[in-house]
Amino acid sequence: MATRRKVARKAATRGQKAAATAPIQVAENLKDVRDLLKVLRDTGKPIEVRMAALQSLGAAAFSVPNFNSLHADYIGALREVATDSHEELRRRVFGILTRNKDGYAQKKLLDGLKDPAKALLPPEKALQLLGNDVHAGAYAAARTILNKPPNDDAKREALRLLAGDAKSTPLLEKVLRDKKELRENRQLAASALHSLNPDKLQAQARKILLDKSDYADIKATSLTALEQFGDDGSLSKDKTLLQSVNRLKNTKISAKYKQTARRFLSKYSP
Amino acid sequence: MRGATIARALSEDQFAALVDALAADPKRRGDLISLLREDHPHYAERGAAAIVRMRGWVLLAVARGEVPENALIFILEELDTGVDPYLVAAAARALRSYPHPTAALAPFVMRALGNIRYRDEPVSFANYGEYAISATHTSAVGELLATLRWLGPRARGILPELEPLRAPNGGLSRKLRLDVDRALQAIRVPAPADEPATASCCGTPPNGARSMSSWPSDSRRGAKQTESITLQDHKGELITFKEYFHGQPSIVVFFYTRCDNPLKCSLTVTKLARVQKLLEERGLVDRIRTAAITYDPAFDLPQRLRVYGQDRGVRMDAGHRMLRVIEENENEVLRRHFELGVNFVGSLVNRHRIEVYILDAEGRIALCLERLSWDEEQVVTRTIEMLKEKECGSGRQA
Repeated sequence: MATRRKVARKAATRGQKAAATAPIQVAENLKDVRDLLKVLRDTGKPIEVRMAALQSLGAAAFSVPNFNSLHADYIGALREVATDSHEELRRRVFGILTRNKDGYAQKKLLDGLKDPAKALLPPEKALQLLGNDVHAGAYAAARTILNKPPNDDAKREALRLLAGDAKSTPLLEKVLRDKKELRENRQLAASALHSLNPDKLQAQARKILLDKSDYADIKATSLTALEQFGDDGSLSKDKTLLQSVNRLKNTKISAKYKQTARRFLSKYSP
Repeated sequence: MRGATIARALSEDQFAALVDALAADPKRRGDLISLLREDHPHYAERGAAAIVRMRGWVLLAVARGEVPENALIFILEELDTGVDPYLVAAAARALRSYPHPTAALAPFVMRALGNIRYRDEPVSFANYGEYAISATHTSAVGELLATLRWLGPRARGILPELEPLRAPNGGLSRKLRLDVDRALQAIRVPAPADEPATASCCGTPPNGARSMSSWPSDSRRGAKQTESITLQDHKGELITFKEYFHGQPSIVVFFYTRCDNPLKCSLTVTKLARVQKLLEERGLVDRIRTAAITYDPAFDLPQRLRVYGQDRGVRMDAGHRMLRVIEENENEVLRRHFELGVNFVGSLVNRHRIEVYILDAEGRIALCLERLSWDEEQVVTRTIEMLKEKECGSGRQA
């Protein structure tokens, strides 16, 4: 154990030394950008130096006049480095490429979601980055992950991604109604439904409010959804729901929740 | 090909093999060209990047032989409105296999240069699906400049736009600026004696560049199957196709709010607003209807339609509406009726063309403008003809 710690300490010191000997260069012109691209591609350079080069290139993309003339080289270098052995570098590079809606990066991430042996990033990160482009074709992969998640984070990111997929409405309804589901996930599902199909959210929110066994915070979310975005015509005629909300005032719930109930009743009570 | 069904979805590698096989067989050239239609079943349920890889490979395969007239429009479309470097590069390369270079092609190449020069990328054509990782590969801008060289003196009309690209701060690398010089040299050489150089920008467009189709009154397709389709407008009000499109001529455009190509949906709807202004100026805004119908009705709810229209200056009232179809099966009927050039992954569009229609007072398609950028004045003029046709009570060829 002590030996392992020593090795780790030595490695850390080496990294710090390397970083210290390679100051982060601020690119001022295209020659600097070309030099930074060389450093980024050079696997012989310490990782800290390459990361610093990547950071400088990101700044240069904004600050160096005529950076666009090297855009093709920049994209080429990022694609090359996307398969680097260092995960943090890959993570940052995929972030830049996917914000650029890069087909190469999307394909690599989707391949990794379908076959974990090919994955260059963890599934939750891959899903998050694929979310940068609604046209990435990631919805099918996200639905698969939602049905059989490798971990909680991946499930959460799948839910976030599916907020743009109209075909996932039934899945989102199921997550919202599932009392065994994590609360954060249920709230994400409610938010996604609000975006995709507000009528379905309203129907589910009503069911949750009438369900005596559901959790107070989820009920509060549902009540807020109805109070803010509900359909005036149907809610003001919904006696069952109005009575149920009226009863909330006399139960042990948070002041904020009670306040929402009061607003709901003043808005929809006849 | 429209309406054809493919029993089994091909993998991308299988698709590439199919394309190669079609390209190798001169008798199956028609099948190869049909793969350029957006609504081809092979493109269903794929992400946009996969569509780019697939269509790019088809364009390159078409270019292995002479580009026929019926493929030219797809190439010009990509140059006109494409924003993906791989597809633009493939289109530029494919154009060089067109056997009749003319001055009318030069503005398309120049427009593509303007669209793509700030987002150029290295591209590789060596193998299907290959992405370039080195700047030693060709690029969209490199291919477009090579195509201008190929056009030579025929591209003289675009010299004033090309020359500024030589400037060191013009957004091009040193290597590409040398390519600009080479293109300028090729354009400036004297034209062959039998073919005068064209200093004007356009010249006569080739037959394959026609983006407009029209039908005389007696040959327009009936709209019976569409009449009962229920549409919902930007305010959430329901109206049937017959109620809205019968009685007056209409201008109809298709779009979707999540389109990320600024030269397609956003520009189309902005142009629709301009069309409405032209109608107002001519006092016709109450006699000609307009509609923008979404390809993506599951996502484009009334509020999204309203905001999208408002942001682009669209007039929205009883005779000018942003619309969506509510029922999926009716959406399918509408797609078939208009023969829309669109495909989907789930309910989301993965590729579409530009399409503008003029309907007569019976809701039948009288004129269609597709793929290339369209002119608002031209659309208004043609719709006024439709109005006169209605008033005369007799059909005449559009």
